Amino acid sequence: MKKQFMKIALGIFFFSAFITSCKKNKIEEPNEDEVITTMKLTFVPVGGDNTLTYQFKDPDGAGGTAPTQDEIVLKPSKTYNVTVQLLNETKTPAENVTTEVAKEADAHRFYYEPAVGSNIVVSGLDNDGNDVPLGITSTWTTGTVATGKVVVTLRHYGGTPPGKAVGDLVNSSKSSTDIAVEFKIKVQ
Amino acid sequence: MAIVNNTITQPCNYILSGHVEDVDTKEKLVAASASIKETGKQIITNEKGDFVFTTLCAGEYTLIITHVSCDTVVKKIILTKNFHIDILMPHTRKVLGDVIVDAQKGIANTGYKKELSGRALEETKGLSLAEALSKINGVTMLQTGSTISKPVIHGLHSNRILTINNGVRQEGQQWGNEHAPEIDPFIADKLIVIKGVDELRYGSDAIGGVILVEPKPLRNKPGFAAEINSAYFTNNRQYVFSGVYEEQLKKQPAFRYRVQGTYKRGANIATPNYRLNNTGSEENNFSISAGWKKEKCNTELFYSHFATKVGIFNGSHIGNLTDLLNAIAAPKPNDVFLGQNTYQIQRPYQDVTHDLLKSKTVFYNGEHKFTVLLAGQFNHRKEFDIVRSSTNKNPQLDLSIYTITEDLSWEHPKKNNFIGIGGLSLMQQDNSYNGRYFIPNYFAYSFGGYYIEKWNKHQWELQAGLRYDNKNINTTRLKFNSDTINYDFNFSTFASSFNAIYKLTDNWRLNTNISLTSRAPYVNELLSDGIHHGTATYEKGDITLKPEHSINISAGINYQHPSKIFSIDVLLYSNNINNFIYQQPMPNNPVLTIAGAFPLMEYKQTNAVLSGFDISALIKPLPALDWVSKFSFLYARNKKLNDWLILMPANRLSNEVIYHLKDGEKIINTYLSAEMQNVMQQKNVPSDINGKQDYKAPPSAYTLINMNASATLQVYKTPVTISVGVRNLLNIVYRDYLNSMRYFTDEMGRNISARLKIQL
Repeated sequence: MKKQFMKIALGIFFFSAFITSCKKNKIEEPNEDEVITTMKLTFVPVGGDNTLTYQFKDPDGAGGTAPTQDEIVLKPSKTYNVTVQLLNETKTPAENVTTEVAKEADAHRFYYEPAVGSNIVVSGLDNDGNDVPLGITSTWTTGTVATGKVVVTLRHYGGTPPGKAVGDLVNSSKSSTDIAVEFKIKVQ
Repeated sequence: MAIVNNTITQPCNYILSGHVEDVDTKEKLVAASASIKETGKQIITNEKGDFVFTTLCAGEYTLIITHVSCDTVVKKIILTKNFHIDILMPHTRKVLGDVIVDAQKGIANTGYKKELSGRALEETKGLSLAEALSKINGVTMLQTGSTISKPVIHGLHSNRILTINNGVRQEGQQWGNEHAPEIDPFIADKLIVIKGVDELRYGSDAIGGVILVEPKPLRNKPGFAAEINSAYFTNNRQYVFSGVYEEQLKKQPAFRYRVQGTYKRGANIATPNYRLNNTGSEENNFSISAGWKKEKCNTELFYSHFATKVGIFNGSHIGNLTDLLNAIAAPKPNDVFLGQNTYQIQRPYQDVTHDLLKSKTVFYNGEHKFTVLLAGQFNHRKEFDIVRSSTNKNPQLDLSIYTITEDLSWEHPKKNNFIGIGGLSLMQQDNSYNGRYFIPNYFAYSFGGYYIEKWNKHQWELQAGLRYDNKNINTTRLKFNSDTINYDFNFSTFASSFNAIYKLTDNWRLNTNISLTSRAPYVNELLSDGIHHGTATYEKGDITLKPEHSINISAGINYQHPSKIFSIDVLLYSNNINNFIYQQPMPNNPVLTIAGAFPLMEYKQTNAVLSGFDISALIKPLPALDWVSKFSFLYARNKKLNDWLILMPANRLSNEVIYHLKDGEKIINTYLSAEMQNVMQQKNVPSDINGKQDYKAPPSAYTLINMNASATLQVYKTPVTISVGVRNLLNIVYRDYLNSMRYFTDEMGRNISARLKIQL
């Protein structure tokens, strides 16, 4: 009786060891959905000329291969209609993240901050449904020849309701950073 | 009202005798009071712990046994003939809750053992496992807000601590700082922290110690019992209901079973000045156990389900280092994250389930005892972050871990003053993830074996043990373009421990221990690769890490005054850990991402030392008054960099006075207590010379006042215990160094609790 019992116990023991050791690790597609790999700025000059595109690109997301980034080169004394586009290129086809941002416009806001002496003025940001700036489109006006920097920031409002307001600064404690990219910029 | 005295015609010459022992130490309890409520007669036990009532009539009596260091025991006795009863007295908080003087009792642990049970455990009903454990001197908590907490023993936590849930090594995602143990504290009858020889039964890697969550044994008396616990907390309107029903079948006494369940729900938490949105929590747990017990063999089946959903303060969401610095600079969170008083939980939140199925069979061959323990566990952790699209219903982090363990053990009977236990352990584990990468998919299997011998004679007690484990890990990380990155690891770890106890007299006891333990690096330390949003750092693992080796030396002294008016317990320890795995800032290599540059932290190895002492003392200035004082001190250094270790608990002192009221006719176990808890400022933090590790200085020292009162009433023969308590009585504003929310918010304000326990 005792021996039988021992046999049964050992049987269970080895059987469970056996079934688990034969099990294969399943391979699933990772579906990380909050990644932004690419930010493209498209500059359409007012009054005609070539459309310009500058981008920040980190095709494998944070970490791994270092991102690449263009220098923005614009002509002096010109006005550009600028559109920003965000992509997740870890997915095929690439996912257009701008549409998500546009859908949740009352919880997002772009800021464009040229450094002093860059001779750039950014204005005319588009608004969300509550007439608060969103900034998917904007107007950039250049002055005389200069080199400088511009920081493009996308802020995300985490509250419910988001509480987004016209006067919110880029470092508002209501929102947190989804994107913060500093471009070198040249007016020449 | 319980007097049955229709026995006038019968002679009143029955004898009721009894013997009183401490349930744990088996010490005969001298000077315990035995009284019969109906007759009002009281007898004090003699030096053998015995008492005798004579000239009793037949009838139903209520026997009340009280002893200075024990919980009161009430027994109903129907007397129809001469009767003898053995009474085992449970410990109470009066014996320092945590100072256990174990005597000769089978394979019992006699080294470092600190226990939370009885009334001290009752006072934590409704709190989390880590909060309960932190009542033990030397144990603190690592927190994420007020709702996520994990235990820290002498400065060590997560993978350096083993949690043994009902005999099974808990396998969840315990590596993360914001991953709380997935255990319902209502399952436990005792929470025990052990170190030394006995930890070898559970693993070679318990560098920090082992936590045992021990349920009550199944009922061993025909009939049934039930207990209902409920609690309400005013701060976050949290309510808890927990019930347990157990039975031993009268017709088939070999069969016993128990069902147990807990429901807990809390709304948003309030600090003294503001309420934090999205800090609610919900928990749903149940367990079923059944046992079959025969003389030579008994078997037990246990299943438990744990499910929790915990909101995380949404004002703590940060995108990059600038956000973190802004948050630190702000005196309080923005108003959009404050003020909602609701039970609703929104993103970000965690949703965690843990299932455990266990079968344990014990059988005896002569005096030899064999145990076969088989267990399966499934842990599923989903983290829902703030996402851009409100239509996104997916978790952003999704980890599943399946574990099967098989343990065999053999205990030999006492021979020539030796007792011993040996065992084999096997484990197979499958971890997989979806969504954000944190740790890779892996399959791990391990095998190990241990052997422990204990010897005791006269005043000496010696124990020694060995353990070996081998762990194989095959990892697979999936890349988005369907590439995989695979790494395989194999680690062998060895542990041994020696413990010597010398009882100078009945009142003095010395205990020294030396333990060698080794812990293999966990996959997160080997293969982490990503942004840790809570600290705005980029964490990177290192595949070349080797196992940590610890040499822990400790010495303990216990003294108890013969009249029990004074007792003291001192523990000194020094834990030297070679190849200690920690995160080293790499200030010259920030990681540039689309959200800005993140400071890089790499897992590195150093030699570390964690030394310290715990002291607790009990003084009884009056028979009804206890004063319990506890102090714990820790010193934790990175020896290679000659610097402090980060995130170590601050030194702390607690003083508590407990006043016991006399037991009345219908009210017993009445007490009032007040505690003052002083947590000092952690001044020993790493300097910035080797790279900035933290952007905010540790918060200032704080003092909390907590109070409790409790009484047990007899309502229609049913003991009903009513307790009220208050934590942070003065509603002070403070932050704690070991709470990651200290960057953003104050700690919880005043919290008044009410508890009701009914034993049917």
